[in-house]
Amino acid sequence: MNFEDKTWLQRGRWLLLIALAAGMYVWSWNAAGMQPSLLIEGAPKARGIIKDLLQPHLFTRPEEIQEAETVIEAPCSGSPPSPAPDEGSSDGPAVQIEPACASAEDPVMVSGFGFRPNTSGRLHWAPAGMQGRLRDEQFTTDAQGAFTVETTVPPLLEQQGGVSGVVAQVEWESGALQPSEPLRTTIEKIIETVFLALMATTLGGIIAVPLSFLGARNIMPRTPAGNAVYGLTRGFFNVMRSIEPIILATIFAIWVGFGPFAGVLALSIVTIASLGKLYSEAAESIQEGPIEAVTATGANRFQVVVYGVVPQIVPPYTAFTIYQWDINVRISTIIGFVGGGGVGFVLRNWINQTRWTWASVAVWAIVIVVWLMDYTSARVREAIV
Amino acid sequence: MLEIQNLTKIYEDGTLALDDVSFTVEDGEFLVVIGLSGSGKSTLLRCINRLVEPTSGRVIWDGEDITAASQEELRKIRRQIGMIFQQFNLVKRSSVMTNVLSGRLGYVNPWLSLAHQFPREERERAMHNLELVGIAGKAQNRADELSGGQQQRVGIARALMQNPKLMLADEPVASLDPATSHSVLKYIEHLNRDQGVTVLCSLHFLSLARRYGTRIIALKAGQIVFDGLPEEIDDHRFKEIYGEEAVQVEVR
Ligand SMILES: Nc1ncnc2c1ncn2[C@@H]1O[C@H](COP(=O)(O)OP(=O)(O)OP(=O)(O)O)[C@@H](O)[C@H]1O
Ligand SMILES: [Mg+2]
Repeated sequence: MNFEDKTWLQRGRWLLLIALAAGMYVWSWNAAGMQPSLLIEGAPKARGIIKDLLQPHLFTRPEEIQEAETVIEAPCSGSPPSPAPDEGSSDGPAVQIEPACASAEDPVMVSGFGFRPNTSGRLHWAPAGMQGRLRDEQFTTDAQGAFTVETTVPPLLEQQGGVSGVVAQVEWESGALQPSEPLRTTIEKIIETVFLALMATTLGGIIAVPLSFLGARNIMPRTPAGNAVYGLTRGFFNVMRSIEPIILATIFAIWVGFGPFAGVLALSIVTIASLGKLYSEAAESIQEGPIEAVTATGANRFQVVVYGVVPQIVPPYTAFTIYQWDINVRISTIIGFVGGGGVGFVLRNWINQTRWTWASVAVWAIVIVVWLMDYTSARVREAIV
Repeated sequence: MLEIQNLTKIYEDGTLALDDVSFTVEDGEFLVVIGLSGSGKSTLLRCINRLVEPTSGRVIWDGEDITAASQEELRKIRRQIGMIFQQFNLVKRSSVMTNVLSGRLGYVNPWLSLAHQFPREERERAMHNLELVGIAGKAQNRADELSGGQQQRVGIARALMQNPKLMLADEPVASLDPATSHSVLKYIEHLNRDQGVTVLCSLHFLSLARRYGTRIIALKAGQIVFDGLPEEIDDHRFKEIYGEEAVQVEVR
């Protein structure tokens, strides 16, 4: 093979590689359904959600309501009803409708007075013989607490016939700020999440400690049986670590039902695998020297463990356990989505109900708690290792 | 009296580390073991308190056969034999005090000791030993906060807790600078001279061996190639022990 052949071959190989790479990217572009233009087209739809997510519904004030009612007859019967005089005093709110009887789609004028000034409200129809109310125009009272609304009679009133109610209602918030319902639920559920994660970390950790000794090369004897136990334990950790927590949570949610317990079980398995591996590695890194030195003083086996081994493994084990707790809080917000309890579960519900300002509360709470856990666990780890 | 009789150690991988070694150490001797790296010094010292199990041969200490002792008897023997190490072998994350107290584990109530409970006189003994080696002020520090020389002094204080009749020192100053080496060896010399503790100490530098040893044993490939007084090691002997190319390095 001469020199030219060789360069031709090399060049050919490069071209082939480039063509192959190009092919792979074309394929993956299609597989990923890449349509960047959608980002712009869909932006208006997302805007509302993003805006809501940035405005978590954290606090409410108690609402106060003022209501006044009158009646209208539809259709007219000839002897229009006289509205019952308001039972309250003359300074209470009152509402009048003009005319007192009308047919569907007839224009009517509703006026009210004696309401709270400068407050927004809404007009409702209470069709005869029905429980519900029809929402109609919004209005705002003037400085004297009066308003006038021009509207038309809803056809439903005529269908029902007889005397229907006309209700004017103004609403305003007053008094001290209170935590909103999503905030209260989120706090309750995020505490549940943190403690659910603690329970899982503890259960998993307790099981991981003895397993970690079986997975530590320096502890297991180098006999065929020792090698087998070591290999199996390490293999078990690796296989379990590759199973997604969400799959485990789904299985346990079916097994023991939706809720925190399913989450704890799933997280415990995750913890055994991950702590087992970390613990094993910590056990492998303990130093022989101090153990020999304690042995040489004439200490018995238990004393050697307490004075030579324990001080070497407790700090790293504690550090890893706290780290795992932190990780478990994160995972549990996700497995909550598939029925693992905690804040993830309510977040899923609020997202399904498109209550974005509520979901936003949970999202922000998760961010804050995860950050706090991360920060504290890092600090504690620094202090003990 | 310590009698080593036909001691042989073959490690699992077939390494012959000690080859039929025999000698006797009288009470009160400061016996220095020298030899090249890998000549078997550590193996020899560790066979004496059975941190390493000898393959054959016997170690007899005050008429008692250590090599034949049961686990329980071995503990009773070990607690009379102090040991200090090149790497100090302190439990780094434990306090200096805890490290020193651990030297007393063979004597105290084992159950209480598991709960880290030591009688007051033992704590006082520990403080006293720390004072002897000059670092009483560091009792509450974590062991790994100390310098190498200070750590080795903790190692000595730990061994002193055993009230040892025999001290095994495996290259106790190999990780220390010359000045610190001397101060550490002087503590050991003091134990030997003033408290009559028999010392078996392996050293790298012949100059140190000459300065502190009352007798020197040289090992080469697991065999004793010299056994005599420090001043008997002349240039010829030196080359025998360390090989033709070796040059004497002094630690003053
Ligand atoms: N645990 C072990 N397994 C196998 N071989 C070993 C073991 N420990 C030591 N050896 C071998 O035994 C021989 C003697 O080792 P030893 O540690 O006793 O020498 P040494 O004189 O103390 O050396 P150094 O001056 O480097 O400390 C060496 O060849 C060493 O490789
Ligand atoms: Mg050695």
